[in-house]
Amino acid sequence: MLKPKRILLASHGTEGARAAEKMAFSLCQKQTALHHLVVVPDFWKGMMGDDWLNNASTRDTFGNYVEGQLDDEIRSHVKKLIRETEKRGINYQYQVELGKPTECLIKAAHSIKPDLVIIGAPRPRGKTGYRSRMKPEQLVHKLNATLLIVPHP
Amino acid sequence: MVYTKKTPMTFILGVIMLVYGLTVRSGVLDALLKQSGQIKNSDEMIYMALTAGVIGIVVGLWQMIGSAGEGQMDYYLSTVGGALFILFVAFFVKWWFAPEIKVFSKYVGKIDWMGGKYFHKIFGLNYIVLGIITGILIVNTTGVPKWAENGVRLSRLGLKSGVILLGTLYSFAELTKLLGVSIVLIGIFVLGSVWMVLWLGSRKKIPNSMAGVLSAGMGVCGVSATVAAAPVVVAKSTEIAYTIGTILLWGVFMMFLFPLIGNALELSYAQFGAWAGTGILNSAQVAGAALSYQPDGIETLKVAEVFNITRVLFLPIIVLWLAIWYVKRESTGEKVDIGKVIIGKFPLFVLGFIILFALASTGIFYPANHYKGKYFDNTKVKESKMMTDAQVAKLKSEVDKVEDLDHKGAMSRLIENRKVMSEKDDAHIRTLVLKKKVLSKDVRKILKKAHKAVRHTSKRVKKFRQLIVWFFAFGLIGLGMQITFSSIKQAGGQPLVIGTIVGTIKAAASLAVIYFLTDFAFLS
Repeated sequence: MLKPKRILLASHGTEGARAAEKMAFSLCQKQTALHHLVVVPDFWKGMMGDDWLNNASTRDTFGNYVEGQLDDEIRSHVKKLIRETEKRGINYQYQVELGKPTECLIKAAHSIKPDLVIIGAPRPRGKTGYRSRMKPEQLVHKLNATLLIVPHP
Repeated sequence: MVYTKKTPMTFILGVIMLVYGLTVRSGVLDALLKQSGQIKNSDEMIYMALTAGVIGIVVGLWQMIGSAGEGQMDYYLSTVGGALFILFVAFFVKWWFAPEIKVFSKYVGKIDWMGGKYFHKIFGLNYIVLGIITGILIVNTTGVPKWAENGVRLSRLGLKSGVILLGTLYSFAELTKLLGVSIVLIGIFVLGSVWMVLWLGSRKKIPNSMAGVLSAGMGVCGVSATVAAAPVVVAKSTEIAYTIGTILLWGVFMMFLFPLIGNALELSYAQFGAWAGTGILNSAQVAGAALSYQPDGIETLKVAEVFNITRVLFLPIIVLWLAIWYVKRESTGEKVDIGKVIIGKFPLFVLGFIILFALASTGIFYPANHYKGKYFDNTKVKESKMMTDAQVAKLKSEVDKVEDLDHKGAMSRLIENRKVMSEKDDAHIRTLVLKKKVLSKDVRKILKKAHKAVRHTSKRVKKFRQLIVWFFAFGLIGLGMQITFSSIKQAGGQPLVIGTIVGTIKAAASLAVIYFLTDFAFLS
């Protein structure tokens, strides 16, 4: 049985990610530190695409609105995890990064140096969600820790 | 915050452009330019490359040696590198890449199974389309360099400046005629597609916020409308991502598909401009498709942009409609401030277009009595453009078919003098050109030639056209650099299904309407 001291969990509130969270909780013991990584996909940077008609104020309103939406989503997600980890007495920390999910996870793993990295399996076809997935093959090559991919529920 | 980046790249681009300008001026490249048919543009190359080169060197030196402080000047100067980067791509594509594609296409020969046309014509592979593709490839492979990011954002200003300057090229008669047709068509298709998305959304039981944001994007002007409407209908992040992805996917696809269909159906410039202005979702791609259809002239662009402006003017109305619609359905909707929505979403650059149009109408730029940029003068008709005996005989044989006395009189005076005698006569002759049921094709051709012989383009109009095309090329290539595959990839879910249905119906129905409207509606 795995007895990790430091777990790096990448999740962002989807069904698959929730399965990964459950798995992480079950593997946490006393003294285990759970480091939670939330990635805001960098496609958002190009989301105003070829808009050229709007004035700066409309674009700012949109930018602030999207930022607020993403912020709310992350806050409520993290809040749930804080509640859950407090209940279980887990040492919990979180970190939010903007970028490509795979690259952010590899970077975080290199700085945190976990014993175990946990992610959810890629979403099955037809399920709603962003098209911005982890690339397991890259992770296998570049991670310096054991990688656990939790099957989609 | 200091925006200027310490980079040698602006200076390097400046040097490359300066050297290029000097090389063209020395005549070293003449043989190559003749081979690609670009020798006619050598003056433009010299002027543009030398100007951009000097600016690049001066600003580049300051960026390397000087110390930038916070302020507006710092921001403006930080954009020079990116602007030169877009221009560099534009120079390369317009003067070298696109002409070589044309040479290659002619070498391959006409393709029989595609209507006996060259492939560069069929696929509209001109500098505008190739420039946009190059921009898209850059951002999705190497990415836009950090030092160029601020300048690439200037592309919006380029497009707005192009539209404003376009105001100088319409005559009063032309603009009122086009506006009339565009208000009817855009009114039907914009309101129709917004309604259809909302209706399909309720049938498929998608959230109101998703239906609201999608209807704005599909109905009015693509991503711009989505950006304007998303906060009003409180769209969720996934709904925004799905909608923008769907619209970008459709927009890019349509920009290539429309010219292809237009060529196959041999639509006139005016018809194509009207169709693109109505059927293409994204307003940037309307300009792209119009310039792709007619890269060496701006008749298509002029029609397309009037349609574009008309639908942009619909934007505040649609946002208001959606805001009220949303508040009625959702308890979370905020009270709508009508004045704030209308003023906040009003596209100010349209005022610039109107001001320049009004100025042009006073004759400040060229004779005010121009029609489609051409003024009447029958004293300048060259001998070679006067009608021949054979043409006169042909006209004589059909003049009695004309029943309208004014038209008949104009035609008789033309026969007598071998050229159009007055501006009034010219208007009658122009109308006769469109009388397909009255006169034969040959006679209408002769009349069209006679009309063209007394209409002249002023040098200023030519310069304006050149400048406008450059502004649009700059803007579109720069916007290409902002279309990422990762945002297109977000297309999916119900927005993709509904968007595909509504987008297809809108494009097909507008084509059907415009195809059966003769040029008369737009041009007479």
